[in-house]
Amino acid sequence: MTSYSQPPEVVLAGRGIGKCYGEGPLASRALHPTDIEIRRGEVLVLMGPSGSGKTTLLSLLGLVLTPTEGEVLVGGWSAARASADELARLRQRRLGFVFQQFNLLPSLTAVENVAVPLLLGGVAWPEREARAARALELVGMGDRRQARPRQLSGGQQQRVAIARALVNDAPVLLCDEPTASLDGETGRGVLDTLGRLARAGRAVVVVTHDERVRAIADRLLQVVDGRVVPAEVPGVAHSANAAPPLAPTHRRMT
Amino acid sequence: MNGSIHPPPPTPGPGRLAGLALRMLLDTPMKSLGTLIGVVVSVFLMAQQASLLGGILGRVTSLVGKSGVDIWIASAATESTDATDTIPASKVGAAAGTPGVAWAAPVVQGFGKVTRPDGVRELVKVLGVEAPRYAGLPRTLAPGTSLASLRGSGRILLNLKDRPAFAMARPGDRVEVEGRATFVAGFYEGVDPHSPYYYVFANLDDARALTAFPPDRITYAAVGVAAGEDPRAVRARLQARFPDALVRTREELSAMEERYFLVRTPVGLVFGLGSVVAALVGAAIVAVTLYSTAIDRARDYGTLKAIGASRRDLLSLLLAQAWIFAAAGYAAGMAAFLVVRAHLPQLPMVVSPHLVAGVALAATLSCTLASLAAIRRVLKLDPAVVFRS
Ligand SMILES: Nc1ncnc2c1ncn2[C@@H]1O[C@H](COP(=O)(O)OP(=O)(O)OP(=O)(O)O)[C@@H](O)[C@H]1O
Ligand SMILES: [Mg+2]
Repeated sequence: MTSYSQPPEVVLAGRGIGKCYGEGPLASRALHPTDIEIRRGEVLVLMGPSGSGKTTLLSLLGLVLTPTEGEVLVGGWSAARASADELARLRQRRLGFVFQQFNLLPSLTAVENVAVPLLLGGVAWPEREARAARALELVGMGDRRQARPRQLSGGQQQRVAIARALVNDAPVLLCDEPTASLDGETGRGVLDTLGRLARAGRAVVVVTHDERVRAIADRLLQVVDGRVVPAEVPGVAHSANAAPPLAPTHRRMT
Repeated sequence: MNGSIHPPPPTPGPGRLAGLALRMLLDTPMKSLGTLIGVVVSVFLMAQQASLLGGILGRVTSLVGKSGVDIWIASAATESTDATDTIPASKVGAAAGTPGVAWAAPVVQGFGKVTRPDGVRELVKVLGVEAPRYAGLPRTLAPGTSLASLRGSGRILLNLKDRPAFAMARPGDRVEVEGRATFVAGFYEGVDPHSPYYYVFANLDDARALTAFPPDRITYAAVGVAAGEDPRAVRARLQARFPDALVRTREELSAMEERYFLVRTPVGLVFGLGSVVAALVGAAIVAVTLYSTAIDRARDYGTLKAIGASRRDLLSLLLAQAWIFAAAGYAAGMAAFLVVRAHLPQLPMVVSPHLVAGVALAATLSCTLASLAAIRRVLKLDPAVVFRS
């Protein structure tokens, strides 16, 4: 595994990552080789038309999809040659995922769902429960610990899913359309939660079609036909570009 | 190399994921219950078939095994106690004079017809044993019967189990064998034929008379080994002395009996196959359930993969599910079998430690095999599916 010198603020990066689905004559390019850096404390928003390659990019960054070219760096270390189990451990320790469909386990209560990454990490139950309860407090779901997913509204389920993504203190949250299954009001609540988490020091990547996400975005990238291009973020102080200045220190209040 | 990037895998405590496995099963209670019933029926059938086979094989070896004889000498032309010839009576004396032999006694056996009080004539195997030792007679005599009961001519011992067929015979009752009168002197237990005929024990001379057995010949020389002697060493000595005869220890002749029975009757095949089919049916039911659940739950397993479950975690999770079925199915199936067995004492169902352990092993094995397809399916699952809506 190779180490690269890069600013310590960069918690996750893609170096020339691209993806072709299929092989030979059937191969179709979903993402052209792309450089991308994700920094501590920022909300990076990926927007773009349907089928443009946003989920593909997020899956590559999330180490659930193997790039056709290039490599993903986690905390400065290349994941290119990691085995399937090493990738699983990296995901478990370094990355938190939030999905459009929430993907909570229906058989588990909210607190048990949130504790799953800790269970996989070998943490014992009393500590698991305490940490999961704290994560639920953080997303405002502290009073619904014992609820099953089917007893919760979509927005509540998504907040539980965010708590699950947080519970391991993973420095990066990767969210694919976190508000797409939610109504307007609920979606805004979820976005606020993500914004607060970024201000508390995490890196948050959000793939979305939701225009309201501009309110919390520090940086906005457009994905068009498998290419990543910078986009304007009206109302955001520092203009968005592919390599922005570091987030101001006052926003890192861990 | 940075240790925090590639942390050591968590040491999975035994059953770390068993709780999660159980919760996933309870989430589809009807499907899980149906599967469990399948395993219960499978375990029940395995236990029942295997115990019946064990019981029948126990009967097959009971004549040889329960008579207190250490070594049997028979004709070289012997495949089992049902398929044998005769040997000269002189073998008894020669055997008795062999080092390591405590005693030797003649046993004759022949088939005849017994007439039941209701007039039905049935096949009977008459075994003639010699006073005073009565070697070859079951050592398991019924209460009220002793070796001395047989002393005196024309007396026979009946199986206690056969009393109902003989109008609840009592000592002194008359029973006709091959048209000759004999008298019930008492009863024995624990030695049962595996086929529909009776074992009747009589005095040596009476047995000869009842079955027209040649006077200078016998069927077996029954040998007792002196205290402290190794039966196998004595057997070797006797075999060397009678190269033209078959000399076998009790265990060896029992094994011969079993083998003959298993080869010559379909009983072993039927019950053995019954157990195997029961195991396969159980495995198939569990396999179908686990596999179809793995498909229904692709999103759940994909999520687990995406949020960091290793291959080993997923393996434990699916094996735990299989073993929960095996354990619960075994407990309930075995309990059901023991209850049924307690209510059907007339069936020869033997529960040995081998059977208890063997069925547990078979249930675990078949459930483990059953989980393989689901395991393969889940391990091959692409974690990227979780991002597809
Ligand atoms: N597993 C796959 N196999 C083959 N082609 C795929 C696969 N996944 C995605 N694609 C293709 O790659 C391209 C990019 O897909 P992707 O899901 O990344 O788009 P997206 O920007 O997330 O779209 P949406 O906004 O609709 O979610 C599309 O043309 C899609 O059809
Ligand atoms: Mg998408």
